[in-house]
Amino acid sequence: MSTRALAAWSASGLVIALSTSNPVYRGVVLLCALNLLLARGRRGPRLRLLLIGIALAAATATLLTLLLSHSGAHILVRLPGAIPAIGGPLTLEALAFGLATGLGIAAAMLAVAPLTLVSQPHELVDALPPALARTGAAVGAALNLIPGTVRSAAEIRDAQRMRGWRARRVTDWPAVAVPVVLTAIEGSLTLAEAMESRAYGVTARTHLTIQSWTRADTVLTVSALVAAALFLTLSLTGSAPGWFPFPVLTAPVVSVPAVLCCAVLVLPSLLVRR
Amino acid sequence: METLRFAGFHYSYPSTPTRVLDGVDLEVDGGLVLLSGASGSGKSTLLRVCNGLIPHFHGGVIGGVARVLGRDVVRTPTRTLARDVGFVFQDPELQAVYPSVEHDVAFGLENLGIAREEMRHRVDDVLVTCGIAHLRGRAVSTLSGGERQRLALAGVLAMRPRLLVLDEPFAQLDPDGSRALLAALDTAVRGGTTALVAEHRRHPAVEGVARRLLMEDGRVVHLPSSVPVEAPSLVPRRGAPASSQLSWCLHRVSAGHGRAAVLHDLELCAAGGEVVALTGANGSGKTTLLRTIAGLLPPLSGRVERRPGRIAYLPQNPAALLHRATVRSEIVWTLRRTRCADGPDPILGELGLTAVADRDPRDLSSGQRQRAALAAVLAGGPSLVLLDEPTRGMDAAARASLTAAITRIAERGAGVVVATHDEQLVDAVATRVVELRDGAAHELPAGDLVAVGAAR
Repeated sequence: MSTRALAAWSASGLVIALSTSNPVYRGVVLLCALNLLLARGRRGPRLRLLLIGIALAAATATLLTLLLSHSGAHILVRLPGAIPAIGGPLTLEALAFGLATGLGIAAAMLAVAPLTLVSQPHELVDALPPALARTGAAVGAALNLIPGTVRSAAEIRDAQRMRGWRARRVTDWPAVAVPVVLTAIEGSLTLAEAMESRAYGVTARTHLTIQSWTRADTVLTVSALVAAALFLTLSLTGSAPGWFPFPVLTAPVVSVPAVLCCAVLVLPSLLVRR
Repeated sequence: METLRFAGFHYSYPSTPTRVLDGVDLEVDGGLVLLSGASGSGKSTLLRVCNGLIPHFHGGVIGGVARVLGRDVVRTPTRTLARDVGFVFQDPELQAVYPSVEHDVAFGLENLGIAREEMRHRVDDVLVTCGIAHLRGRAVSTLSGGERQRLALAGVLAMRPRLLVLDEPFAQLDPDGSRALLAALDTAVRGGTTALVAEHRRHPAVEGVARRLLMEDGRVVHLPSSVPVEAPSLVPRRGAPASSQLSWCLHRVSAGHGRAAVLHDLELCAAGGEVVALTGANGSGKTTLLRTIAGLLPPLSGRVERRPGRIAYLPQNPAALLHRATVRSEIVWTLRRTRCADGPDPILGELGLTAVADRDPRDLSSGQRQRAALAAVLAGGPSLVLLDEPTRGMDAAARASLTAAITRIAERGAGVVVATHDEQLVDAVATRVVELRDGAAHELPAGDLVAVGAAR
């Protein structure tokens, strides 16, 4: 699958997930994206880490909404009013809205995730239009620093441990955090030097690899963009209404055409071979 | 037109008034030029002037004449000079731009706008020249230090520079890598490229063909070719008495990262007072073995036994450990954490750090930082010392200090394991030499090592 087709697919998924508050549509986008990641992405620690991160973000959104929104008819529990911000009734409606918000965040993140987990960084950089090639190379290099910094943090922690370091108190952490930050800064500067020394930005860039574009890429790109456009139209005309559980919890209204628009996002998993 | 011309050139970094380069006069017109000098003498600074990183990237106060391939360095941006000047940095770990080997080699060519077919041809060629064709599809993050060094060289050679500037290129290379680098340098120089190589370690093979320069007090001193190349030597310590007490032992240990074993079924033990040198090609598993002995990497199978006591471990990038405001406080930090009553002065003196004890370790030269990290690790009387490429970036004086320190530690009864390609260090300190090859450990007689060194 071409990186450009994947980018169009991600953009469509993102538009749908962010343009509606209806958990059903968000859920369909989430399932399509998850299916693509599991079918085409490289399984391993990165995928695991991403899924954990998404779950944490969604859980945090749910919890914050539950704790901070005190509206709704069905009270689950009442926290003492003396507690700032979270004191007061915690309602079923707030919990439901929190879950829908978390679902939206997870769907949006999962829609973009294949760009980094299915594509290689150089494919992303190569897929950018020529006007953005230099910026893309710089961003690609910067992203490349992230795994290096994570690795260096583990190495520094291990080495400091051998010098007697133990993480017992907050004040112990600078022994690891300071070298990690300084090493990351030095790494960034050396990388910038290395890029400059290898003629970065001297002229228009060419690319080692050609990204092939197949008929399936055309089908996927057009279908994803049309689906997003249709969904937006349905949404704006009221044919695919959002969902608001306050003041009383109700089931979301589901429009079949809107669900079909979301379901179009499952096509990459069906059409493209690994 | 000279390749390099410096006249009355001086430079100081923005934060310090002291001139790092102070009156450099130098003319180079082709060939291989070897630049040596003590840690902190200004070698890396001079090299950075050659491709314009100084002053364009680092700023500072500059004066005098510096022309590279006829261009004024002050008026020509680094990226423009990079069309003709290839630069390989001291830390190969930090200069890969892309995560895959093949694409990283092509990065410079992409920047130069080279056509795809030509690019493929050059990438193929240079991977073979640098002896890393087998790494083509690998992720950079999985390469050893030496493999990364060769990758960095390949990325620069692919751009076919007229001036090639290399900062300590042999530091992490195994004998095969050193031979490949020498051959690549020879080919490039025969093809008309000028090569300027800064190197601490003595390489008779290079010195025999190179013009030799010495950095001293910020100036370049020309060494006459009539000065003979002497066999480098560190003060040797052979046959130190090993104690009867076991220091560490591997029982049928397989080790590696993830699920893939790099080392298989190792049976290896050493007594206190023994200095075991681990040698082997880049990527043979030396660091993996050190980390396994240290307990930082659990074995995939088998059992690791260690004598109780503190383990000192010096990683490949030891400067990353340093986080205190002064060298002295780094050592005090280790002493306190290990509940050792010693003061910092003995180890400072032993490693030649007394003069810089109150300086910020990150302001020191690469070699001095290496020594500071070594002092921070060795302080506190460890019972087992594990050193990963400890001589990287060290000048002759620092390596002699290191040799003395290892000797003292071993004489006190501690076990020492040194992973290194530095055959002079091995010759000076090792009581046993173990070569890692094809996932197995092969004990070498001491004489074999000298032969390995001579072959370089």
